[in-house]
Amino acid sequence: MGQNEANYEFCLNIADFIIQIKSDIAFQPETGYESFFTDKKQTTDFVVNCKAEIPLTIFAGQNPVFEAENEQQKFYDIYRHNEGLGFIIYNQQNKNTIQQIALLDKDFRNWTIYSSSETDYNPLRYPMGPIIMHYMTIKTNSVMMHASCAFDGQRGRMFSGFSGVGKSTMSRIWAEAGSTIINDDRLIIRELGNKFFVYNTPMYYKDIPKKAPLNAVYLIHHSPENKIQKLKGALAASRTMAFCIQNNYDQNFVAERLDFFVRLAAAVDIYDLGFVPNASVIEFIKAHE
Amino acid sequence: MNTENLSKLKSRFVSREVDKELILVPLTGNIAKMNEMFTLNETAKLIWENMDKVDSEESLTDLITTEFDVSHEIASADVSAFIKHLETML
Repeated sequence: MGQNEANYEFCLNIADFIIQIKSDIAFQPETGYESFFTDKKQTTDFVVNCKAEIPLTIFAGQNPVFEAENEQQKFYDIYRHNEGLGFIIYNQQNKNTIQQIALLDKDFRNWTIYSSSETDYNPLRYPMGPIIMHYMTIKTNSVMMHASCAFDGQRGRMFSGFSGVGKSTMSRIWAEAGSTIINDDRLIIRELGNKFFVYNTPMYYKDIPKKAPLNAVYLIHHSPENKIQKLKGALAASRTMAFCIQNNYDQNFVAERLDFFVRLAAAVDIYDLGFVPNASVIEFIKAHE
Repeated sequence: MNTENLSKLKSRFVSREVDKELILVPLTGNIAKMNEMFTLNETAKLIWENMDKVDSEESLTDLITTEFDVSHEIASADVSAFIKHLETML
């Protein structure tokens, strides 16, 4: 079989987006993807072509438009490439090693991912998978959030904030009260019609795909007592947007994100919530809805 | 800061007006700054709306003293603080 002819295919359904994966070489995605496999005859929203060689010099001489790194870790660089984007993804154990190079077309629908076949071939290896999921949201009235969400069968309540504010604690409290936890760390919000829905995404552990209506957003922090303040307008939109996953190098992306959160803030109740980490917060929240 | 630099600084933000308030989001390649954004009070909004229409920070100060009942000294400090804040967000 020739280099350009994929001999391995499967489809994923993530947040009701169908992603067709085609690869030169068969591979096993990480455990978290297993429950997201779907019938490949469905309509495809995104196509990911996986190739088994890395064209290391493809961005030679170019400066990245964005570098995702912090003091401890280098994650990926983004380049402008043929009206679309190009990515260099670094190995998370050795930041000087390129793990994948990926190209995304101008419509943000078609990916080509180049990975080395010399060691444990896996084109979706972290952080490539979450990068694909994030870029699925850019042109589809969707966002990816650092947040947890609990669904009690009637209302979907999302809890967001910086690391350590209690997203997982809040999930545990609602789970103990019988709610379904959509996820306790990373979510996709989609605007469908004039309603907003929350979805989980594949994580490093196995979980089934879940979806819930989004009825309220709580920007949480620990507090000596439960206290709540409803946020409106610009403050509600900007404070919620602060917890979405974003690469703020492109004016159009940012403008679309801002518009999304302005619409979200108009449609969904948004609160600042200081909470005591016990079951009392459930009745407190319900009493203020 | 002259008009060219004020315009350049302003172009590195995306703004949206919601219910007469403005949200500013910086265009930045700095991952630590990605989640920083803020809404503007009345004075800051006036500075923002005019910073690419005047020839200097001094002109912005004059505008503030014309629009609001504040001294030149306070207006000048407000303009400087706002511009410094914008720069630190990038």
